[in-house]
Amino acid sequence: MISTVGKYFDGISSRSQDIGIQLDETNAGLRFGISSEQPDFWSIDDILFEHIGNSLEIRNRHHSLALIKVNDDSFATAFIAFLKAKGRLSWYHRILQLGIKAYISIALLILGFIVAGYLLIIPTVAEKAVVLIPQHYDISMGHTFYKQYVNDNKVDSTKTAALNLFARQLKLNNTIKLHFTVINSQTVNAFSLPDGNIIVFTGLIDLMKNYDELAGLIGHEVSHVNNRHSMKMLCRNLSGYLFISAVLSDVNGIMAIIGDNVHNLQSLSYSRQFERQADEQGTQLMILNGINPNGMTDLFARLKSSEKVVMPGFISSHPITTDRIVYINRLIQRTPHPYTLNSRLEELFLRVKN
Amino acid sequence: MENEITELKNYKLSFHGQGKTYFGIVIVNWLLTVITLGFYYPWAKARNLQFLYGSTALEDDRFTFHGTGKEMFVGFIKAIIIFGVIYGILFLFVYLEMPILGAIIFYFAFIAILPVAIHGSYRYRFSRTSWRGIRFGYRGDRSELFVSFFKWIFFSIITLGIYGAWMEMKLRGYLMSHVRAGNIEFNYKGKGFEYFILNLKGYLLSLITLGIYSFWWYKDLFAYYVDNLSLQKEGQQINMKSIATAGDFFKIIMGNLLIVIFTLGLGYAWAVTRTMNFMVNNIKLEGDMDLNTILQTEDDYNDATGDDMTGFLDINFII
Repeated sequence: MISTVGKYFDGISSRSQDIGIQLDETNAGLRFGISSEQPDFWSIDDILFEHIGNSLEIRNRHHSLALIKVNDDSFATAFIAFLKAKGRLSWYHRILQLGIKAYISIALLILGFIVAGYLLIIPTVAEKAVVLIPQHYDISMGHTFYKQYVNDNKVDSTKTAALNLFARQLKLNNTIKLHFTVINSQTVNAFSLPDGNIIVFTGLIDLMKNYDELAGLIGHEVSHVNNRHSMKMLCRNLSGYLFISAVLSDVNGIMAIIGDNVHNLQSLSYSRQFERQADEQGTQLMILNGINPNGMTDLFARLKSSEKVVMPGFISSHPITTDRIVYINRLIQRTPHPYTLNSRLEELFLRVKN
Repeated sequence: MENEITELKNYKLSFHGQGKTYFGIVIVNWLLTVITLGFYYPWAKARNLQFLYGSTALEDDRFTFHGTGKEMFVGFIKAIIIFGVIYGILFLFVYLEMPILGAIIFYFAFIAILPVAIHGSYRYRFSRTSWRGIRFGYRGDRSELFVSFFKWIFFSIITLGIYGAWMEMKLRGYLMSHVRAGNIEFNYKGKGFEYFILNLKGYLLSLITLGIYSFWWYKDLFAYYVDNLSLQKEGQQINMKSIATAGDFFKIIMGNLLIVIFTLGLGYAWAVTRTMNFMVNNIKLEGDMDLNTILQTEDDYNDATGDDMTGFLDINFII
């Protein structure tokens, strides 16, 4: 019979008593007591224990403050083996005995699942979810933004009318009504809203030399609207953010912060993905309308010359302009693209410019 | 009265938890929390506390945390319901197009929850902690704390936050002086004015020195918490003293930061055990109390709702 000595706290005062302890295998329990007295017996059904370092502390479920303390490694090993043999070692204690290599593997495994879930499942599910969101959400979201934005800015109504006429000449495969607005500003930019409102700054129009460049821009922006890119972006970002925060903040705050930043970089990559799709579909729209698709690359060349700082690709919301020119050229080369000069578009383009 | 010359003795406080053991607990908790979509959280919390308390020892005897995942789960569900009702009321008022009234009720409810949650948290945590088989306890009165808390909040608002220093000290004083470990009573004697000056000085000097002084500020804050805490029992007492220096704080804070960042957060377990070691090794206990004669006095208390509410509110349990 395995036995040792230890200390007993009775749960009434903090004074300890020296006791002898025996592992009673026949009756399945612990027998302990001060030598002269009748020994006490705790059944393994009632035993709770903690083994930290070289200290084994045993308590009784029904008498939770009484405490047996043993500092004897060989007894602790025998005690734990005994509980294990009797099937009384909880699954939790079993997992904890696996050792550091197992923990690191578990950690890497979870991280792997998180990364896989994040990169594969979240974007797909989020995009599927977009189909379920009624388009009137896109429309009201766009309206709200448009009203606030256009209110604070100078709209050029003559150019706006001309641009709308220009767009009406084109077949744009749009499912919702499109409306173009020209704003007087030096900013070299244009953007689309989910409700079909497309805003173009005179700064960008002033750079253009030919109507096919304007058609390229329209094709690009309309493709964003046709593909509901804004809503997809919102769904991807929100679901990715919730996923990352939920899974990582269970571990600790620092990990959640790192996760959020990785997510921000990742959402820029979504953005670049959508921009590329819009570039390509925009070019196809030009070809569909019998417009010279090289207008798209000309437009990028103008953008490039107006760029002051070139941002590295991975921290930018758009692909690098040189890359855009390369992949659009490739697309043009493999697609037949007959085009003719369109004098009506030419005329409207000049009206938009002046 | 007989005159006894009592000799002062030092009491040994130590931390035995190892980073790699704690890492196992953190990882297993994480795994189970992810698999159960978060429902394991209360059990994870209980395991966590069991490890941290169980690794801390006074005079080579460890503390025990008796709380269970089941108790914390019940508290967790109650806390979710309470927060759900508060948010529900807010949305109801927004729906009824009375958002301002809704917001007022919402913030009022949140402030009202704080003292209730703190009270519950203290009662639960302490009654679930024992040392040498002697239970800790918290004997504060909820209504008394509630009324004082509102008074302190009111003063803090009308003084534009300056009273916050007094509020913090009064709150800590109230909470700590109602803590018991068997028949040992805790006492905290920090004063609002001293605490205010300490923070004002810390803030201004940190600003001037571009943050370098902040390590001295941390040192002073820690010392102010620790040095003002003492234990009494039948005329005997134990006083606490911090021996941490600003350099120690620099080492622990920067070290933890580097560990956690370079392991992408996985080194968190080591940061925690290092911090525990740091705190335990920098608190000196001195006095004439006989720790073999503490008597059991405190009742059992198993409602963890307050503890879970403070968890949701992100208030750290402080002692």
